Formats: sequence, C-alpha cells, structure tokens
Amino acid sequence: MCHVSVGHLARLLEEEGIATVIIAVKAFEKRLEAMLPPRVLITRHPMGRPIGPPGDRKHQKLVIEAALELFETAETGGTIRELPEGYSI
Amino acid sequence: MNETDPNRETFEEFKKSFSYGSRNDLNFKFLAGLSDEEAARFLQQLLWKLGDALNDGQWGRIVEHVIEGQVQGYSGPPRYTYDHGPFVNPSKSLSEAKLTLITSSGHFVAGDDPRPFGIENMSQEEAVRRINDFLKAEPVLSVIPKDTPAPELRVRHGGYDIRGPLADPNAAFPLEHLRELEREGSFGELAEETYSFVGACAQTRLLKHSGPQWVEMLKQRAVDIALLVPV
Repeated sequence: MCHVSVGHLARLLEEEGIATVIIAVKAFEKRLEAMLPPRVLITRHPMGRPIGPPGDRKHQKLVIEAALELFETAETGGTIRELPEGYSI
Repeated sequence: MNETDPNRETFEEFKKSFSYGSRNDLNFKFLAGLSDEEAARFLQQLLWKLGDALNDGQWGRIVEHVIEGQVQGYSGPPRYTYDHGPFVNPSKSLSEAKLTLITSSGHFVAGDDPRPFGIENMSQEEAVRRINDFLKAEPVLSVIPKDTPAPELRVRHGGYDIRGPLADPNAAFPLEHLRELEREGSFGELAEETYSFVGACAQTRLLKHSGPQWVEMLKQRAVDIALLVPV
C-alpha cells in the first residue's frame, strides 16, 4: 500500500505546483503506472531497499542523481525511467 | 501427522503463512498472492539457484530471482487506476530549487515517536501485528530536520522488512546523500525539514485530509520540488 500512498501524494503535490520524482522498486512499477504519477525512477532492487543495498553509498548516490535528473528531463506526466544499474551485493 | 490428519497443513496454508501468519516474512509475503503452482515454482527455483551459488559464489542470481518473484507477486490488477495525471514543470531550475524528501518508510527521529494509536515505543513486531489497524488509520507525518544524524533515525513499519534501513537508513531514507549532494551543488538547497510516514494507511483520509494539509505546509515552506520514496 506504500506505493499507492506515495502515488496519491505525488498527484496532490503536482496539482498544487510542486514537482515530484518517485523512486520505487521494480515490483511497484505496474501499479504505479496505473496511477499516472508525474515522474518515476524504477530501481531493480528488492522491496524495502529502494535506494540501494545497505552500505553501498556509490550505488545509492547514483540512484539519487538519476532521480534528480528526471526533474530536468521529463517532459510529460507518466514518465517512467528504469535505472540500468541493478542491485549487487 | 499423516495424510488423513485434519490438522495437516496444506500448501496454500503454508504459502499464506509468510504473509502475517506463523512464518511472517515481509520480503516474501507475495507468496500468498501466487497460485500454488507459481509459489511452488518460485521456491523450487530459489533452491536450485542457491545450489548453483554454493558452487560459484554468484549470489546475484538469488537477488534477481527474489526481485522477479516480487514483481510477479505484485502483477495483479491495480487497486487505483487514473486516466489523467497532473504534471507541472519545476517552478525553478534544479540548481535553484528547494528540495525536500518524503518517504513512506516509517522513519522518525529518536525522541519524537509518532506514537501510533497512542502507544509510545511500539515495537516493530506490534506494528506488524496491527497492520490492519494502520491500514484504517490516518497517516501521521514525522518531521525529520535536515541535519539529523543517521544514528538518531528510527524506523518502524508493519508493511515491509525494515532490516534494510535498520542496517543503513540510506537504503530507504537517503538523507545523508541529499546533504552531500546539496554541498556539491547538485540542486539549489535542501529544505530545513524532510519527512516520513507509514505508507500503510487509509487512502481516503490521506487524499482528503492529511495529504492536502501536508501539501499546504510544503507550499508555506516554499518547497519547489519533492523526492518521494515508497517502500
């Protein structure tokens, strides 16, 4: 249900002029897509670790940077991009 | 116990026990939503891949298998579908924007427990037991000041396995990275406050009551853009 709550929050924020990027794990992709959120970065991670493996600061930072980039590159709502780099432990 | 034992556990009961049952394991609660055949295949392949990994140490195949299982487990019909999605361009360029972070991971600062249902220091185990109460309740937003040291962060959430963020809060609440990226000039500034709530909550109350209040608060704090992280 977490992804639904965040999908709803993204819609509320965007309606009031605050641009959003959601970072979500692959398992949530289809259900988020159905909610037409503005911008989503999908990470191919296990649930509960959306930003990256614990302790892997390099990968975590890469995720955040890719999400920030979406603020500048997304041109329409429902933009979903998947980070090519996967989850390695 | 034998074939005629009325208490004999069926495979359906076995797979459902991982979702808030006797074998509760929130990484694998999706098993309950798979058909018997799908769940059996997932477990069989998991063991087979484990056998391979014991030989060559390539554990990535296990990670990938778990991810594929979770994707399959969440592939059913969505509960909320919209045919229109609001979209605004950021009001400022990234280099000038004030950014905040909002996660549904259930983080809060030590000493500022959101006290769900009036209970101070609720354990993670109790939060799991009371998941249905959370799902009926209005969400509570925890304010997490931007300078909060990582050891001061706490996490409690009955809907997912919190061991990832317990090991490293940045796995779900990337505050340290945002501070670093702010210093490096990747965006304008990090707002004084960041936020978290338990995303397992009543959707109507979120949409009609708390959500609009949060949005109004962020507007008053002149937040331009928000990074949102569900778990």
